[in-house]
Amino acid sequence: MFEVFEHTADLGIRVCAGSLNELFVDAGRGLIAQLANLATVRPVIEKSITLVSDSLEYLLFDWLSELIYTFEESRLLLGEFEVLVTEDAGVFQLTATCRGEVADATRHELDHEVKAITYHGLFVRQSTDGWEAEVIIDI
Amino acid sequence: MAKPGFYGPLEKVNDYLWRIPKSYKEGMRVDGLIFADDALMEHIRADQAAEQVANVAFLPGIQHASLAMPDIHWGYGFCIGGVAATDPNEDGVISPGGVGYDINCGVRLVRSNLFYQDVKPHLKRLMDTLYNHVPAGLGQDGKYRFNPRELKQLMGQGATYLKKRGLVTAGDLEHTEAGGCLETAEPDRVSDRALERGGKQCGTLGSGNHFLEVQVVDAIFDAEAAEVMGLEKDMVCVMIHSGSRGLGYQVCDDALRDLRKAPGKYGIELPDKQLVCAPVNSNEGEQYLGAMSAAANYGFCNRQLLMWQARESFELVFSKGWEALQMGLIYDVAHNIAKLEEHTVSGVKKKVWVHRKGATRAFPAGHPEIPSQYAAIGQPVIIPGDMGRASWVLVGQPGSMEQSFGTACHGAGRVMSRTAAIAHAAGRRIDQELLAKGIEARARSWRGLAEEQPDAYKDVDLVVNVVHQANLAKKVARMRPIGVVKG
Repeated sequence: MFEVFEHTADLGIRVCAGSLNELFVDAGRGLIAQLANLATVRPVIEKSITLVSDSLEYLLFDWLSELIYTFEESRLLLGEFEVLVTEDAGVFQLTATCRGEVADATRHELDHEVKAITYHGLFVRQSTDGWEAEVIIDI
Repeated sequence: MAKPGFYGPLEKVNDYLWRIPKSYKEGMRVDGLIFADDALMEHIRADQAAEQVANVAFLPGIQHASLAMPDIHWGYGFCIGGVAATDPNEDGVISPGGVGYDINCGVRLVRSNLFYQDVKPHLKRLMDTLYNHVPAGLGQDGKYRFNPRELKQLMGQGATYLKKRGLVTAGDLEHTEAGGCLETAEPDRVSDRALERGGKQCGTLGSGNHFLEVQVVDAIFDAEAAEVMGLEKDMVCVMIHSGSRGLGYQVCDDALRDLRKAPGKYGIELPDKQLVCAPVNSNEGEQYLGAMSAAANYGFCNRQLLMWQARESFELVFSKGWEALQMGLIYDVAHNIAKLEEHTVSGVKKKVWVHRKGATRAFPAGHPEIPSQYAAIGQPVIIPGDMGRASWVLVGQPGSMEQSFGTACHGAGRVMSRTAAIAHAAGRRIDQELLAKGIEARARSWRGLAEEQPDAYKDVDLVVNVVHQANLAKKVARMRPIGVVKG
């Protein structure tokens, strides 16, 4: 699950999930929900994303940045994700299948333009119930 | 996330200036100085912005002090409203956090020969026309197209590039900060991703706090300066607030990634990893400066194209050319930028990199870098407020050169978070409330309008009063909005 929390000028997204894979799924959905109403996004186009990073924080940062770039490049709103995060010798890899559709202002109630993902207060950590993360996005 | 206040030392220097002594934290190279009065200081103490002022004082090569303007609020690494100058000859650094994601976000003010009574009967049509003519909001592409080769030329030449498309005049260029072109631009250092994001967005407003407003001069405080700018009471103006769009955001994002390891490599100790930086004289520093300057030039072009589309909208509604409507550009200022400028530090003239993160250049009368028209009054300093109350134009004063590297504030500053503003707007129609005050608002998103409602901002008059009293910039005119276009 994700929720939005306060930051003076921008928005924060807090994510809690049972597994790391779900954490990245929910973070992706939390981000796209700031652009448009997720319930209206149909899974008609598929896109694969693969990323590698030496920390989970940077992997989350790069994952969300990739979703922003995908929207800016091709107007693709992605709302459904299958994510697999693996670790090998301190290197984390993300492999994702993403589904969504091209934004249509008549159906998607487009809201925020997200300028960027920030490093401010960024964390990914294990919790008693699984995993949690916070990230602040620049609006 | 908890939002603790600032409990460190804040010494009152005078009624409009506060000091965080460099003894506060080991590693501060200079004091922190915040321009504010007692009332604003109450707001400032409520979050971590003052801590960020202290953190910026760690940057190698920082000169005089880590400064903050009265509209200071919590940012990323640097506070919004922060000013820091570094000397490259003293191992000075450049920090992307000191410029921000929206490189060369800024404001321009356009005058006209129309008065409120001329526009009032046509206001609804004017705002509909502006709304349809000026792309605003998420996912709205611009009508101008630039392929990657053209984008690189545009970033190399700045707003001058638009001459060959007939979209800029000599007067526009003269009245743009730096003539609309930073000579330090190196477009080849801009990534393909940034070029991809920038190709369709030059001439678009964006969302968030960006806006286009039709305003009326409400009060004149300096008759001589207002006359030089061509401003009169009740005159209709246009104010535009936007930056370098996705291209600039990507340049900042690229730089933060590239610089992740630079502090370790150069032995720079930082209290916050978001202050990531590199020496000006290093490969990493040169890479960022070249790309940042190129993005800044894109930002000047973006505001020029937005203004051009606003002029076209006025032409459609008033059936006259924009020249006949005397819609000359008063001035365009950047408020997220780093520039190499000459300043006097401890009696020595030197070239320093001035980071302005949510702060506006405010050069005084006689400064060689301001247009001849304004030589006697000082550089126009344009300060947007909120969509319900007021915005300002000031002129730079000598005190800015003495105290703040030629800098003043940049806006009102938020007082309410976006989530709090949404809650505050529940069950309300912000557009109808504005209409009741005579303001026609147009926005693509209810949420966007709710988040930007007037109550979400501090009263800009309080902020302007501090820079006026501190002799950083002098009040010239106050404008009230009558029409608003938001993303």
